[in-house]
Order: sequence, then structure tokens, then C-alpha cells
Amino acid sequence: MNKFAIGCGGVLVIVLFLAFVVGLFFWGTYNRLVTLDQNVNKKWGDVQTVYQRRADLIPNLVNTVQGAANFEKSTLVEVTNARASVGRVQLDPNKAPTDAAQLEQFQAAQGQLSNALSRLLVVVERYPELKSNQNFLGLQAQLEGTENRISVERSNFNGTVQDYNTAVRRFPTNMIAGMFGFQSRPFFNAQVGAEKAPAVNFNFGKPAPAASPTGSP
Amino acid sequence: MVGTSLRDVREFFTVPAKNSDASEKHPYLKRSTINSRVRKIALLAATIASLVPIGTRAAEVIPPKPDRYFNDYAGVVSKEAALRFNEQLAQFERETSNQLLVVVWQTMPSQSSIEDFTQRTFQAWTVGQKGRNNGAVLFVFIKDRRMRIQPGYGLEGALPDIICDEIIRDGMAPHFRSGDYERGLANGIDLICKAVRGEYKGSGRTTKERGANNVGPLPFLLFLFVMFIFIIAGRSARRRGYRYSSLGGPFIGGWSSGGGGWSSGGGGFSGFSGGGGFSGGGGASGSW
Repeated sequence: MNKFAIGCGGVLVIVLFLAFVVGLFFWGTYNRLVTLDQNVNKKWGDVQTVYQRRADLIPNLVNTVQGAANFEKSTLVEVTNARASVGRVQLDPNKAPTDAAQLEQFQAAQGQLSNALSRLLVVVERYPELKSNQNFLGLQAQLEGTENRISVERSNFNGTVQDYNTAVRRFPTNMIAGMFGFQSRPFFNAQVGAEKAPAVNFNFGKPAPAASPTGSP
Repeated sequence: MVGTSLRDVREFFTVPAKNSDASEKHPYLKRSTINSRVRKIALLAATIASLVPIGTRAAEVIPPKPDRYFNDYAGVVSKEAALRFNEQLAQFERETSNQLLVVVWQTMPSQSSIEDFTQRTFQAWTVGQKGRNNGAVLFVFIKDRRMRIQPGYGLEGALPDIICDEIIRDGMAPHFRSGDYERGLANGIDLICKAVRGEYKGSGRTTKERGANNVGPLPFLLFLFVMFIFIIAGRSARRRGYRYSSLGGPFIGGWSSGGGGWSSGGGGFSGFSGGGGFSGGGGASGSW
């Protein structure tokens, strides 16, 4: 009888110990997932900030360019429209999207704006008056800086999403992730159309070097 | 977990004496093979440890962290000017804690875009104070006729894109165009310092002079770990009546000379040592 009680106690101790170990594992894993999730959200916020920064530059840019004598209207309209459509696809800046289609839509709108802006900068090459305008040069520098920030923050975001997705999908973390509803997150893809080489148009009035305002070196 | 793996390692490193139990456990391993395996492992450990401080991106080689503030790899300024610039930038860190680096190359050592390359290089060099990221690097590629100012997150306020663009376009490019690199660089350094001054307060010493550990604890821990294994292996080998000195000697000797390389520098010029390295990709590029 006594032996039986000791046996029961032993089993109980073992079971309690196992429960404790499993509990510790749950605790650690859950907290790690939360941390990774927060990282993704933080980087998503950074991405949104730089996109917003670009959108904020556009009214000023359009105004400055408009001032140039008979500036091509169609390019400006394109930029303004793209800016407006970017405004329509707003995602929550505090929480990274979980829906791939949603991110796709966001990316498409932003990509359209990128294309319109790069076309604008190409067209500007034909207006020497703009290229010596201090205001425009400042805006151009800001725009270039912002484009670079966008690519940096996008790749930072993709890095955190990768860490998060790896954790969510690996065994045994994936069981806990499934239990608490941690889903894997979509990435930013390469820019739409980036795989195609840009068409080069040599039909300008005179061939101007890209970034040297004083002419050929 | 640790116990078993340590025992495995111990067995692995144990060189069997005559009639030892190790050769009974591994009858397929002759003594000479074990010996060569130990050598291989030692070599591997040394290689891994020496690789750790360098960047982890294997696809493309990011140039190693420079040991001074002003680095003219293209040889476009005189030695005196280079020393003067270096001292000016070191003094600037002492006063303001901002780390400004200048690197001049003939061509960009990468196939990537200049923005992408400088971004990753900035990160790999950990420019700026830890936590503040208040560093900036001026990259110049002479033959490419391109340059870029890349600030870290901490200097984005003091060096907005417009200011970087103006410094490049009005302050430096005209001198570069006329071939006066020294004037252009001097001007650029002065302008950047002027823009950045007042953003942070300095401690009167550079990071290097404060003795900050720029390598991080990992290589040191690895070194300790390898030493530990060797000591254990040596002890157990000795217990079994086997002399181990022929293997331990040259390897440990090689290590200590490697360790000396890290702490070198500081003689003759003010050395650079970072801690930050986070940059949002701001700044501006320009050509001349």
C-alpha cells in the first residue's frame, strides 16, 4: 500500500515536471512570436513613413514644375492621378498586412506613382530652366533620397517578415503559432516591371547627361 | 544537452593511447586519421572565428572596416593632407561624438548601384555611436566620377538630403571637376562638419580611445571555447598517458598572433572604431 502511494507520487512528480517543461516551452515560444510580430509591425510603420514622405513631396513638386514655361501637361496629370490613387489604398500603418492581395494592391498603386515620377524626371531633362531652379534641385534631391529610403525600408521589412515567417512555419513553433493565430505575412515583391529593361528614348532635342548640369564632362 | 555534446567533443578530440578505450569505440579510425581530423577541426574553428568580424554577406565582398577616418585608397591627396583630414575628423568625434568617415576609391568595388553599395557598407562598418547611429560617410569614386554622402539614422536631421546634395553639388563637384581633389574634399569635410555640429555632445574622446570593443564578444567567446576544448582534450589525453603538445603548440601560437591584430592601431594616427551602423538610406549622390 505504502509502495503504491510512493509510486503514485513519483508518477505525479514526473507528470508535473513534464507539464512544467511544456509550459515553459509554450511561454518562451509565444513570447518570441510576439516579439517577431512586433518587429514586423515596426518595420511596416517605417515603410509607411517613407511612402508618406514621398507622397507629401508631390504637391510641392507639381507646383514647382508647373511654373516652368509650357511644361508638358500629360506628365503632371499622370503624377497627380497616381498620387491620388495612392491615397485611396491606405493600409493600417500600425499593423503589417496579413493579406497578400492587400499588399499587392498597395504595391501596385505605389509602383504606378514611382513610374509616373521617374517619367516626370526624364521629361524635366528637356527644360534647362527647371534644371537650374534651386527649388526644383532641392526637391529632386529629396525625391531621390526618399526613393532610396523606400528601397531600404522595404528590404528591412522583408528581412523581419522572413524571420517571422520562418518562426511561424517551423516545427514545433508552428503548432503554437497556429493555436494563437499567428499567420505568415506577405513580402514586398520586386517592383512591378523591374524585370523589364527600361526603354531608352534618344529622341530628345539634344542629348543631355543625366546629372551634370554644366554639360558633358 | 551541453553535457553530452561536451563528452562527444571530448571523445572526438581524445587521441587514443596504446590499448585505449577510444580506439575500441572507434575501431574504424586509425590513430593517424584522428590526428588529421583534429587538425582539420582546429583549422576549421580558426577559420570560422576569423570570419566572424567580417560581414556576413558572402555573395559580395564588402570592403573591410577602415581603421581611420580619412581613407584615400585612390591616392589623390598628399600624405600630409590625409593626416590633417584624419586628425580633423577624429577631433570632431571627440568634440561632438559624431563619426564622419571619408573613403576615396578609384572605382566602386561592387556591381550594384551606388546607393545599395553605400548602404550595406555603412551597415557593415557600424559607423556612428551605438544607439545613436550618428555617423556619416562620404564616399568618392574617382574614375566613376561619382560620390555620395550617406548619413546614419541619427544624422538624418542634421544632414537632410537637400543639404547633402548642396554640399556635393556646390561645395565639392566644382573642385573635383577642375581636378583639385584636395580642395574639394577639404571643403566637403568642412561643410559636413558645419552642418552636423551641435546635433550631439561629445565626450572628449573617440570610441577607439574609450577602448570600446569594436569586434564584439563573439570571437572572444569562440576563442575561449576552442581553448576550453583543447584544455579538456589535453587533460584527458595526459590522463591516458599521451603527450599532446605537438598539436596544441602551433595552433595556440597562431591564435595569439591573430589576437594581436585586433588591438593594433592607434600609433601615429587617430583610429576609427564604430558601434552604430543603422542608416535609413538618406543622403544624396552626385557626379562631377
